[in-house]
Amino acid sequence: MAHPDNLSLDQVTLCAGAKTILDNVTLTVPMTGVTLLAGRNGSGKSTFLKACLGLVRLQSGVLLLKGQPPELACRQIGYMPQGLSDTALMIPAISHVMAAMKGARWGIPLPSRARREDAERLLALTGALSFARRPLGLLSGGERQRVCLAQALTDNPKMLLLDEPLAALDHEAQHQIVSLLDTLTRDLGISILLTSHETEALGGKMSRILKLKNGSLHV
Amino acid sequence: MFEFEFMRHAFLGCTIVSVLAGTVGWFLILRRQAFAAHALSHIGFSGAAGAVWLGVSPLYGMIAFSLLAGLAMGNETKGAGALSPQRDSMIGLVLAASLGLGTWFLHEANGASSMATTLLFGDVLGIDTPTLLALSTVTVLCLAGLAFLGRPLLFASLMPDVAQARGVPVRLTSLGFMAIAALACSACAEVSGALLAFSLMIGPAATALRLGLRPVAGLATAVSLALFLSWGGLALSWVTDVPVPFWIGLGAAACYGMACMVRR
Ligand SMILES: Nc1ncnc2c1ncn2[C@@H]1O[C@H](COP(=O)(O)OP(=O)(O)OP(=O)(O)O)[C@@H](O)[C@H]1O
Ligand SMILES: [Mg+2]
Repeated sequence: MAHPDNLSLDQVTLCAGAKTILDNVTLTVPMTGVTLLAGRNGSGKSTFLKACLGLVRLQSGVLLLKGQPPELACRQIGYMPQGLSDTALMIPAISHVMAAMKGARWGIPLPSRARREDAERLLALTGALSFARRPLGLLSGGERQRVCLAQALTDNPKMLLLDEPLAALDHEAQHQIVSLLDTLTRDLGISILLTSHETEALGGKMSRILKLKNGSLHV
Repeated sequence: MFEFEFMRHAFLGCTIVSVLAGTVGWFLILRRQAFAAHALSHIGFSGAAGAVWLGVSPLYGMIAFSLLAGLAMGNETKGAGALSPQRDSMIGLVLAASLGLGTWFLHEANGASSMATTLLFGDVLGIDTPTLLALSTVTVLCLAGLAFLGRPLLFASLMPDVAQARGVPVRLTSLGFMAIAALACSACAEVSGALLAFSLMIGPAATALRLGLRPVAGLATAVSLALFLSWGGLALSWVTDVPVPFWIGLGAAACYGMACMVRR
């Protein structure tokens, strides 16, 4: 139960508006490797991820991620929301990544070469370096997705919560992202919880599947 | 033209306000709050009218009213983009109510129609030393506030969801920023008038953002353009005898037009 790599829910009830996403769920699963959170449209996958980050409050119960409540755990988590954001599209992609680096600290960062190089390293990792200087709004959906992934990787997260990271990508790109995620888990020991409808693209890379259905969650 | 003290004061006032308007405006446009900037300066106008009625300095009335409204707006905006339509109607209603109040204040402070013109169009040539001091204080306060909020504010403006997930107090930053914007709008209104306070904030910032620059370069461009516009406006109005806001307003639109041509 107290294992540091677990996701544990104790009598958790979670609602979104009038809809019950989790109905008194008690469950403990390891979070090593890649975990796929599966479920139909509207079953509450995105809401559940937000609850893991403390962005949505639980109705009742206790949720611990890596032994910590969401408000603490979120500091070591890289998050990539579903869909494309529509804010600040005129700012270059690389600035979006740099703004996320230690972004919660007060004050203004001094412009430094190290920060820039760090951002460029992450963008190269997700295959987004070639368009890093263009404004985000001028990139294609798939290109923006890669920038968002680079953003989620800032500040050396121990875990990634990725909401539909494979949507809007062509097969080639899906394949690249999946193998990148695989590398991240194996080389850096980052655990990944992702939602996706592209089960085939994930191939055999996932360690387990969590199914969310009618208010219940099971492995 | 610098042999006259009022011109020296005017240039100094414009310089201070341009630095402020450029920076705050850049964040306002980035956060898509151009309407809020517009509303804040007009709400400031009502506050100024109230101050005239009470016999206090208009600048204080302006600051008080727009601060209140700014906090109300900042409190309402949850995240940046998500509630946009609702946010706009909120701002519109706050604006309508305070304009109503402003009209009533002006009516009560009878014979104040020349005062109203000054408030609306600004009186850059009538800036005195106390006003300059008040302006500098406001500017220093605002810039210090922005320097403190800088990083979380930028993060939350670029990606509200991700920022919140990383522990940025999004609501607090938004409130703090709206307070700063309210102060800045009042200061700008002092120079270019409530009606055009926002041309100094919006024009240069929109141009800088249209160019697709990084934050630091964008802020620098916005401030330089604001300086260029206000100094140019003063000089042109000295030569042509046409009011300063005319030149600033047209100049702002022209800058944006040029940016569109440079960067299609
Ligand atoms: N703020 C909200 N207020 C009311 N209802 C909401 C809210 N957020 C989500 N819902 C509802 O909760 C349900 C789950 O939404 P959620 O976005 O978590 O689904 P999802 O599983 O991620 O779906 P998809 O596969 O389409 O991404 C939906 O029926 C949605 O309408
Ligand atoms: Mg979803």
